[in-house]
Amino acid sequence: MANYFNTLPLRLQLAELAKCRFMHLDEFTEGVDALKGKKLVIIGCGAQGLNQGLNLRDSGLDVSYTLRAAAIDEKRQSWKNATENGFTVGTYEELLPTADVVLNLTPDKQHTNVVNTIMPMMKHGACLSYSHGFNIVEEGMQIRDDITVIMVAPKCPGSEVRAEYVRGFGVPTLIAVHEDNDPNGEGLALAKAYAVGTGGHKAGVLMSSFVAEVKSDLMGEQTILCGMLQTGSLLCFDKMIEEGIDAGYASKLIQYGWETVTEALKYGGVTNMMDRLSNPAKIRAFDLAEEMKDIMGPLYQKHQDDIMTGAFSSGMMDDWANDDAKLLGWRADTAETAFEKTEAGDVEISEQEYFDNGILMVAMVKAGVELAFETMTDAGIIADSAYYESLHETPLIANTIARKKLYEMNATISDTAEYGCYLYNHACVPLLGDFMKDIKTDVIGKGLEFADTGVDNARLIEVNEAIRSHPVEVIGAELRGYMADMKRII
Amino acid sequence: MSDLDRWCLDALSVDFDGRFQLDDISWTIQPGEHWLIAGANGSGKSALAAVLAGAGDRLSGTCSGLPDRVALVSYEQQAELIEAERRKDDADILDVISEGTPVAEIIDSVSQDDELAETLIDALGLRPLLDRAFRKLSTGESRKVMLIRAFTSNPELLVLDEPFDGLDHDSLWWLQAHLRDLAKTVPMVIVLNRFDECPDFITDVAYVDDGRLLHKVKRDDERAFAEVRQLLHLQTTDLELPPGDPAAQLPSLNDADPLVRLTGAAIRYTDNTVFEDLDWTIEANEHWQLSGPNGSGKTGLLSLITGDHPQCYVNDIQVFGFQRGTGESIWQIKQYIGYVSTALQWEYRVSIGLRNVIISGFYDSIGLYGKSTDAQKAIADQWLDLLGMTGRFDEPFNSLSFGEQRLLLIARAMVKHPPLLILDEPCLGLDDINRQLVLALIERICTTSNTTVLYVNHRTQDQIRGINNHLALQ
Repeated sequence: MANYFNTLPLRLQLAELAKCRFMHLDEFTEGVDALKGKKLVIIGCGAQGLNQGLNLRDSGLDVSYTLRAAAIDEKRQSWKNATENGFTVGTYEELLPTADVVLNLTPDKQHTNVVNTIMPMMKHGACLSYSHGFNIVEEGMQIRDDITVIMVAPKCPGSEVRAEYVRGFGVPTLIAVHEDNDPNGEGLALAKAYAVGTGGHKAGVLMSSFVAEVKSDLMGEQTILCGMLQTGSLLCFDKMIEEGIDAGYASKLIQYGWETVTEALKYGGVTNMMDRLSNPAKIRAFDLAEEMKDIMGPLYQKHQDDIMTGAFSSGMMDDWANDDAKLLGWRADTAETAFEKTEAGDVEISEQEYFDNGILMVAMVKAGVELAFETMTDAGIIADSAYYESLHETPLIANTIARKKLYEMNATISDTAEYGCYLYNHACVPLLGDFMKDIKTDVIGKGLEFADTGVDNARLIEVNEAIRSHPVEVIGAELRGYMADMKRII
Repeated sequence: MSDLDRWCLDALSVDFDGRFQLDDISWTIQPGEHWLIAGANGSGKSALAAVLAGAGDRLSGTCSGLPDRVALVSYEQQAELIEAERRKDDADILDVISEGTPVAEIIDSVSQDDELAETLIDALGLRPLLDRAFRKLSTGESRKVMLIRAFTSNPELLVLDEPFDGLDHDSLWWLQAHLRDLAKTVPMVIVLNRFDECPDFITDVAYVDDGRLLHKVKRDDERAFAEVRQLLHLQTTDLELPPGDPAAQLPSLNDADPLVRLTGAAIRYTDNTVFEDLDWTIEANEHWQLSGPNGSGKTGLLSLITGDHPQCYVNDIQVFGFQRGTGESIWQIKQYIGYVSTALQWEYRVSIGLRNVIISGFYDSIGLYGKSTDAQKAIADQWLDLLGMTGRFDEPFNSLSFGEQRLLLIARAMVKHPPLLILDEPCLGLDDINRQLVLALIERICTTSNTTVLYVNHRTQDQIRGINNHLALQ
């Protein structure tokens, strides 16, 4: 199979990359009607599969699960998940021939195998749904002409997808129709109904394309979301230990610091996050971020280039073929890092202290968000997509680190994200080596010592202006404004 | 007073002419304390005050250290004195028209301090009335006389039952100032119906309900003090439940259908069966109590009804006319249900304001995700009034005490006047005061609305009037 993206002419590549539109609530007035009475069969009963299924059923839809015969016979966890939740479970042969919509919620690396197996069993004119476009875009999977292919991708871990639905809300969701496979022109209606069924329409739906989803999603998760947070965690921790900060304190400052500072990001973008710092600290963070952006810029470009050319995915597929040797090795290495092995200390750290003593962490988030956004938009990805795949998702990933450090983050994200995260981390740690040599506890661990809290007015104005006028802040303000109507009232 | 001078009631039960009884009162008044006795009408707060002055017949328990000179001012005692005056008049031994005892004599008969008496007579404007018969005074005037008698009797303890009632503005102002002065030297116990009149010098509050002394709270324990105040509010204020939102009428139910019908219901996991073969029908206006030991499946059973348990789709369940698993959405079910449980409270980790928490009940959501209407805001504010939380609409929910949160979630559950209100151990984790607060609110709901209540609890003392059906799980 050939990389689908690479088969497209440049004109279409650019057109697909530029697809991304925030949909308004009134575009979902038909609710789940397009799926009502249809038979939805989900393949895979992991976190996404189970939780999406629970939501869809609670929205009045007919949902059942199909598992491989072995998983049923051996009563594996996936079988238990489905059965104890009162779902019908059957083999591919039993359920797929009558399915109207097949929801493929297996991990990326199984897609080729799964789709090749199920395609001959699917009835004429049925719909196949993905929640990630990797198989179509990077692996070039060809789907039978009569089958409608859509993507519905909740931008949160499966447990959140369920929790938010139960609260009466949902999680932001990206939908797309694979233009090559929309024989009856019903792809969009089905994708919208699916998004309503999972509650996504309440939190905001982005209408995108398979191509834009894959190329921006890969870039975001590898760089700012997982890669930068992992690299930052390791570097900041080691630096604090080197400078004699208590290990328990350092561990806690990092584990919960990402969550705390990115919470400010979620509410009011980079501007608000930076505004949480004192004026002298803000100027320091700004300068540090500028320096890191210079150093890391080429690395971000390399990641984006490898994603665009398909070099990243073919490298990862080689590792799949090699029994995930690299992935598993990197995962084991991460578990052995000093940060990972040091328990967060039993010390009180106030919300503001995370900012004041974590100036470098704030600078890293700013540098990573802005660089990822800039690199994506330079590569033709529309600003809306780039915003969601960088700034918007950072707090979500930071939450996972707060729960159980890097282990939890890497366990929650997909193998694809995890693989990319390690790639980034291994390049970025040495890249920032010289930079880190000049770092002292004033920007990580202890905070600035204010002999003089004064700042130069002209410099402060200049810095504020630079922060506020960055394109990620412009689009961010607009998108957060769109979502204000539907967002929880905070 | 020395330490030995503390006054102690221990497991004291007192009868008042067979009309009323105080039970099992244990109460210690330490030197330096000034107490407020609070409680609803008929709770026994006046009786408790009177006991300090020796009223009632002791049935059991002990009473130690109380001083000899206790001055009591109360309506009852005022009425007794007037009645005594009237009897004198009716004695009819001499064939003359008795004028009754003049005010001056009434005061003189008990006064130990004539100089003080003269001062107080002037301060309260009684001088022109000194020669008038006591029984001919107005209620307010005779109350002033009673106060002067109490103040001039050189009391070791002053017991004042509703001292501010019936006084004109100037006298009220004077009395408050005088009590403040007096508090420096004389211990006081004051009975008040209204908390907002509580004088500054009060150090402790005793809360009385149904003849029992239920709570003793230090004035400077702000949270407990506020809770007692709220409890009093719920028990004494005669508010109607706020109306529903006329713009958000629920699709009406078929009267012939029961609210809930479970047929052969079961919850099974691969390794255990929680319950099976359970038939249960809940008709409208038939309140139910559900009980059973831990692990018997009470919450599971409830969540089959609310749709929160995934196995509701493999059971034969009819709710509000919907046969479950036939294409209905969970929101179509939840719109008919108000639900409160400890689990919900744990889930409800949001920082939104109190008003929005209540409004979220219209949407069955945790948090509020849509714009609310002015009508909904007005209704929510009425609920805050009912809860004694007037004006606190912007306060963040997660800053409330556990008990206050529970009250608010009950208001959230009731705001849409659901056909079915499910209360899963609503008193769990609450202290006594908050438990009574919650029960008072639920009782009000049971007796004043069309909502059918399904109530789950362990504790037998948390019974609710009006709930007559009982299902016990094994």
